[in-house]
Amino acid sequence: MDAKDILGLPKNALPIQEKKSKPPKETQRKPDGISREVYALMGGLAPLMPSVDVNQLKRKAQSENEKITWQWLPFTNSARKDNLQLYHWVRVVNGVPPTGDYSFAKFNKSVDVIKYTDEEYEKYLVDPAWTKEETDRLFDLCERFDLRFIVIADRFPSSKTVEELKNRFYSVSRAILIARAPSPGDVVGHPLVKEPYNVSQEIERKRALSMVLSHTKHQERRDVEVLAEAKRISEARKAAKAAEEPELPVMADTGHDVTDRGAVAADSISPSPSTQFPSATIANPVSETASVVASLRMLQVYLRSYALEQMVQAASSSAGLRTIKRVEQTLQDLGVNLKPKVPTRAVCAEHLELRKEILTLLSLQKQLQYKEAEGSSYRDGSYAETPGTPPPKRLQRAADLDRTFTPDSLSFGGERVGKRDQKRKGPGRSEAPSPPAQSKRPRKYKASD
Amino acid sequence: MYGGDEVSAVVIDLGSHTCKAGYAGEDAPKAVFPSVVGSIDQMEVDDPDNPDKNPDTKSKGKRKFYVGSQDLGFRRDDMEVLSPIKDGIVVDWDMAESIWDYALRKCLLIDPKEHPMLLAEPCSNTQQQREKAAEIMFEKYQVPALFLAKNAVLTSFASGRATSLVVDSGGGSTTVAPVHDGYVLQKAVATSPIGGEFLTDCLLKSLEHKGISIKPRYAFKRKEIRPGEFQTVDLDFPNTTESYKLYSQRVIVSDIKECVCRAPDTPYDESSYSNIPMTPYELPDGQTIEIGADRFKIPDILFNPPLAQSIPGMESYAETTSYVRGLPQMVIESINKCDVDIRRELYSSILLAGGTGIDATIERTSGERFT
Repeated sequence: MDAKDILGLPKNALPIQEKKSKPPKETQRKPDGISREVYALMGGLAPLMPSVDVNQLKRKAQSENEKITWQWLPFTNSARKDNLQLYHWVRVVNGVPPTGDYSFAKFNKSVDVIKYTDEEYEKYLVDPAWTKEETDRLFDLCERFDLRFIVIADRFPSSKTVEELKNRFYSVSRAILIARAPSPGDVVGHPLVKEPYNVSQEIERKRALSMVLSHTKHQERRDVEVLAEAKRISEARKAAKAAEEPELPVMADTGHDVTDRGAVAADSISPSPSTQFPSATIANPVSETASVVASLRMLQVYLRSYALEQMVQAASSSAGLRTIKRVEQTLQDLGVNLKPKVPTRAVCAEHLELRKEILTLLSLQKQLQYKEAEGSSYRDGSYAETPGTPPPKRLQRAADLDRTFTPDSLSFGGERVGKRDQKRKGPGRSEAPSPPAQSKRPRKYKASD
Repeated sequence: MYGGDEVSAVVIDLGSHTCKAGYAGEDAPKAVFPSVVGSIDQMEVDDPDNPDKNPDTKSKGKRKFYVGSQDLGFRRDDMEVLSPIKDGIVVDWDMAESIWDYALRKCLLIDPKEHPMLLAEPCSNTQQQREKAAEIMFEKYQVPALFLAKNAVLTSFASGRATSLVVDSGGGSTTVAPVHDGYVLQKAVATSPIGGEFLTDCLLKSLEHKGISIKPRYAFKRKEIRPGEFQTVDLDFPNTTESYKLYSQRVIVSDIKECVCRAPDTPYDESSYSNIPMTPYELPDGQTIEIGADRFKIPDILFNPPLAQSIPGMESYAETTSYVRGLPQMVIESINKCDVDIRRELYSSILLAGGTGIDATIERTSGERFT
């Protein structure tokens, strides 16, 4: 409205104004204390909260107590040696100028550089590569530049490298220190004496650094590739070593276990190999089994029962002790042995699947309980876990089965966490439909086998 | 934020193209004017008003100096335009004094007796120069205190760093100087004579070759014949010196350069820039010129000096530009002369200073750095 006034334009027809007058009713009524333009700048609305707390603003001045003036007064600086007097503005309180040294004088710090006399030079410090003038010049520059050796090297008349200068300086200081000390024991703790400057190491370090800096992009890329390759190889080796571990005890047992297996009763078999594992490992030195392990690994033989145990552990790792017990309870109710009698491939697979399905069942039961308790709709979440295709080799198949099962255990873990923590029901509930779908997938693989 | 104590110090930087003077602690200098003087030789030796003047003044007589863009802009008969600076250092101290006089008394309006002085000097200043500057300052101006600081160090401190690589491309030359812990590493300083003035000359020659004549401002008058329409009338001043004419032309061309030229993103080559759309520019005398490929060619000379040889009229500089290095090479050369330990820090803090097209060169130099 004001803008139109200023511009001299005719005002709009009244009816339009009337319509618009309803919403901005509050804006037209401005509070006292602010001018109209400022109020319009703020958007026509009073601020919800005061932006500046009035108490935080500093008091204008303690003008009641003190009289403060600013005066142009001379000052001296203790860091200067020549008594130069300059002028600056000073805050004078009640006619009393502030006392004390110049505020910047405390920054005038310098390094203590050892000074030697001529006799000391003759006695201790003579060096074939350095004349006395050069050494004197070096020490003079060190004092001027506070041991900034790069700058000193730049200003040094003859071209000596930074390492040479440092070497000379530190060796001279060290020699003087030792020479002046009343007894050698006094200075043993001094850093100069304890760790003398190592020229060759410095030169080598700098050479290596300059090589690193001058790597071209091509070289850097190759370096990165080589490192990635090395990492992969070392990880592959580690995985192979881990696979070795179960084979260590195997080597001792495969000899006697294979024949015994058929004869002995079911429950005693699995405990017996397991009890024999520790004994075997203790009894046999590792080096013997290592070679046997290596040879047997070539044949790709491994003890399925142990692998089954591992897989069961992996599958139920995130399950929690109570749930595992319930699973095992259910197994026993169904009349299934906790460890299969004949741990062939098919049997083991079925056993694992059974365990998994029991876990699913238990979790579903719990979910049902929660749902009935709450009676609210659950979100659709999809935790897409695609198990990999089964490769032909047996070893890898076991690992792969591991992989197919761990996603499920993850989802179970999520559910379990959801159960424990009532707040996170959403994700837990959403996972409910997915496990039954997944449990179907391993069956497919089995059929394809 | 000004971290120093307010002792009302004055800073003077006498560069090869402009002189900058101002108060310490402020963001920008108060007085910025060209550091050339107009000088008229006055043949009358005897000055009856000052009998105690030294009788063996030069037979040439006193020279009257005209300093500042206003005085220089007024055409005077027989006025030569001279510069006290050659290759970055002062060679004529009388002219330098007149410039300082103008800066202190006419622009800043101060009495030097009350103000400590900070003089900015080039990195390659000699001991003799420093002594002479100190002598003039203390004896003529009677300053209470004086400090001579190197340009590169001041630039480094102004950006809050004690260690950096300062690339100063000013009017007369380009200098790359590493600063370590507040001290310039003299042995690693690299200079090149290619500066703003060189680029201006290249552009001037290029325009002349194309047939465009740059009329200095004094050489014409514009009359309004009808409302909105102007007619240009040429004026002739036979007593105008060549140097003055050149100076006036350079003023106009450097304005063209500043308005129109841009550093190209990629190195310049004739074919890719031959079809570039032209930018119009109106000269003071009314004629409009179109500038096309030169827009990018001229600034690229900073990076690739041999390019200047392709400009007709600049062949006289062929020998100098053939061995002069471009900006990126100078930077790498300078850093490689430094100690290995500080190279990384220098690479990571490169500062651009100087009046020659700063914004344009930033992207270009960072792109070209290590490819």
